[in-house]
Amino acid sequence: MKRRNRSPVTRVRRCVQLAVLALFVGLLLATRPVPGAAPSAWFGLFAYLDPLILATTALAAHAVPALLLLAFVTVAVTIVLGRVFCGWFCPLGTVHALTSRIADAFSNKPRRDTWSRWQLGKYVILAAVLVMCVFGVQWLTLLDPFAILYRTTTTALWPAAQQAVEEGAYAVYQADPHVGSWHLTSWTEPPYQLLRDHVFVVPAQAFLGGGLILAFFLITVALNFVRRRFWCRYLCPLGGLLGVLSWRPWLRRKVEASTCNGCNLCGMTCHGAAATHPATGWKPQECFGCMNCTPSCPTKGIGFELVKPWSRRDGEEPLDLSRRHVLASGAAGIAGVVLLGSAPQARGRTYNPDLIRPPGSLAESDFLARCIGCGACMKICPTGGLQPAALEAGLAGLWTPRLVMALGYCDHECNRCGQVCPTHAIAALPLAEKKQTRIGLAAFDFNRCIPYAYGRNCMVCEEHCPVPDKAIYFRPAEVTDRNGNTQTIQQPRVDAARCTGCGICQNVCPFKDRPAIRVTSANESRHPENQPILASPDYGAYG
Amino acid sequence: MQPTTRREFLVKSSAAGLSFLAVPSWLRAADAPQPAGTPAGAGPLDMTIARWAGGEVPADLATRLTEQAVATLGGMSRFVSRGSTVWVKPNIGWNRKPEFAANTHPDVVAAVVRMCFDAGAKSVKVGDFPCNEPKACYENSGIAPAAKAVGADIVYLDQRRFRKMAIGGNRLKDHPVYPDIVECDLVINVPVCKHHGGSRVTLCMKNYMGVVDDRRTFHQDLPTTIADITQFMKPRLCILDATRILTDHGPTGGKIEDVKTLNTVAAGVDIVALDAFGSELLGKDPRQIETVTKGAEYGLGRVDYRSLALKELSLS
Repeated sequence: MKRRNRSPVTRVRRCVQLAVLALFVGLLLATRPVPGAAPSAWFGLFAYLDPLILATTALAAHAVPALLLLAFVTVAVTIVLGRVFCGWFCPLGTVHALTSRIADAFSNKPRRDTWSRWQLGKYVILAAVLVMCVFGVQWLTLLDPFAILYRTTTTALWPAAQQAVEEGAYAVYQADPHVGSWHLTSWTEPPYQLLRDHVFVVPAQAFLGGGLILAFFLITVALNFVRRRFWCRYLCPLGGLLGVLSWRPWLRRKVEASTCNGCNLCGMTCHGAAATHPATGWKPQECFGCMNCTPSCPTKGIGFELVKPWSRRDGEEPLDLSRRHVLASGAAGIAGVVLLGSAPQARGRTYNPDLIRPPGSLAESDFLARCIGCGACMKICPTGGLQPAALEAGLAGLWTPRLVMALGYCDHECNRCGQVCPTHAIAALPLAEKKQTRIGLAAFDFNRCIPYAYGRNCMVCEEHCPVPDKAIYFRPAEVTDRNGNTQTIQQPRVDAARCTGCGICQNVCPFKDRPAIRVTSANESRHPENQPILASPDYGAYG
Repeated sequence: MQPTTRREFLVKSSAAGLSFLAVPSWLRAADAPQPAGTPAGAGPLDMTIARWAGGEVPADLATRLTEQAVATLGGMSRFVSRGSTVWVKPNIGWNRKPEFAANTHPDVVAAVVRMCFDAGAKSVKVGDFPCNEPKACYENSGIAPAAKAVGADIVYLDQRRFRKMAIGGNRLKDHPVYPDIVECDLVINVPVCKHHGGSRVTLCMKNYMGVVDDRRTFHQDLPTTIADITQFMKPRLCILDATRILTDHGPTGGKIEDVKTLNTVAAGVDIVALDAFGSELLGKDPRQIETVTKGAEYGLGRVDYRSLALKELSLS
């Protein structure tokens, strides 16, 4: 049976949802490097409105970045209206609502949509997340809706669109189809250049492991074929938090019990599966306020009304977590702490040389306590060098940012990553301070470096070194070739007192496979224990 | 209006005809790479140097120096034919502000663009292949906004669109060059005068590295690869910006102490001569600079720029 819902309130809700989704994409689009302009604080709006991020940052990092306090707006709205955030606002919720409709179309019989005990799962997940945060271990990467959608769009969907545009324009440019003096490129080049200059501003931007990020996202979407809005109903810890807050909302559903014939049409249209059998039963903490039930009722017996918040009415079923659930959450949280928090790296005992964090990143344990892996820093990195980590930072650091010199480098004149980080895992350093911040140290591989290993001049690294008085310098050396000819060449060296580890030397080294100069995390400002070079301003550099 | 006598008519029309014939003659001269120099005093000038005589520096000094240098060389119409497409190739290599002398002065670039339009150019394109993130370089160098304001097309070079071309050099045989630049009617080379860690100086010849891709191996023999590219590009007009020069820690710079203000712009048809002059500005003997000597060896010009038809101007 096909049901068409054409009530005005449903149309308004859909418009609001699509508008918010458009706003999300718009802010993501705006998060791009514009020369000479600092990124706007508004770019992180969706993170700021997310009370789960506020809660975990406060618990795990004992810090409350000021803009995250905007989440109290969501809290206040939820206390009054229930989980309308999930039903009307959340962009990931909208994606799940849309895909659930598609899944509905594939189902030839009405799908069961009454409340299931498994919906308690999100409260268990929420409690486990909060228990972990109490022990300083935060892992919203796989769990927060904002982080999931932002990261997936940034690292997988956006680059796919960019590749389509770049390859398409390139194919037309190469083939150059024309009729007389009219060339097809006169139509394709202007829009391509517009997109290149304002949308896809980092050429050929792509992300390592973007496929895995997309796969995770697609699995959460595919679950909508099992149950409508599976993620929102069963798993989302933010939904759980908002559910707890809508313990006794002011806005409640009212069912005319005298006319209800128990047809359960309201339950079949319900986004949150808030209705229990018999149909008059209702769980306020599961209701998204989608208002699909009102027009669905054949006897016009369902409505919403504002009530006194302390009132308790027939048919309303409060959150009933058993002691068993609470214990299970605690145990899951402790297990999470052991799983993620006890790795040697997380405890500051080892330093991965390939883990180059963006400048301003906090010490690793503090960084992981805050970073939710949203990918905003990667989106705005003008060189495309910031990439999602696989396991370089351990499981706890999955999809957190690291600089990959094969793909980019840290621009000397840029400090944007810290400015867009919603949780301040990367501090918003002033540019002058950022230029003094070391993220690593470059080291020559004398077995590969051309002036050492192959006896001829090179100097590309020195040429590109952006430090005003050059962290790479030359010393002349006499080399004798196999024929006995002697010649003086310039051999480069690194001045550890000046090198910031920006990595442009590694990025431009003629060796593409394994560069002859490589940056490791040694000397990084954020870890005094990882600094092998005695700091002394008057220490004359080697050579 | 005075009536024209037959004699006057004949003199004027034959002069016009000769000047028309003169255009292909310098086109041919550019085709075959040979020293463009002619003995001093005969024919058009080979090189001009415009300096500020001193006193209070006006805000538009860079513009005036550029205009005077080119005007004295014979004006832009000597190089730009009506309806032509011109590529102005500044040095926009680095994400640095104009005062650090890592890129060409934006006013010099804008003045060149304006003169091209005044000489009747149909379109003027400005572009380089920077070493740092291109948009940041174009904007922060001040060149893109300044050139755009006077009507130039700002072109970003698309890495995928370089095309392999037969360079026919000693080091470079087939190498990716940007086709749009080669296909223009004229390329005006507008570099800044800078120190360079490898080639010791970077001036006009090295500025051509911005029209090719795959340049990371060049540094193993910069003089030959640069001379190969220069020969391929057939330089016709170079305008060297020495309004302020970078004396050390080049080509990137970034220390204001390394910048020296010279208030000088040189223009010329002999690229080796201009590079020799620029080397002297940087305190180097041009005969010790390998790119300069290699250029002379290739027959691209003369190291001894004073032996050319040279005019030095002092502005005040």
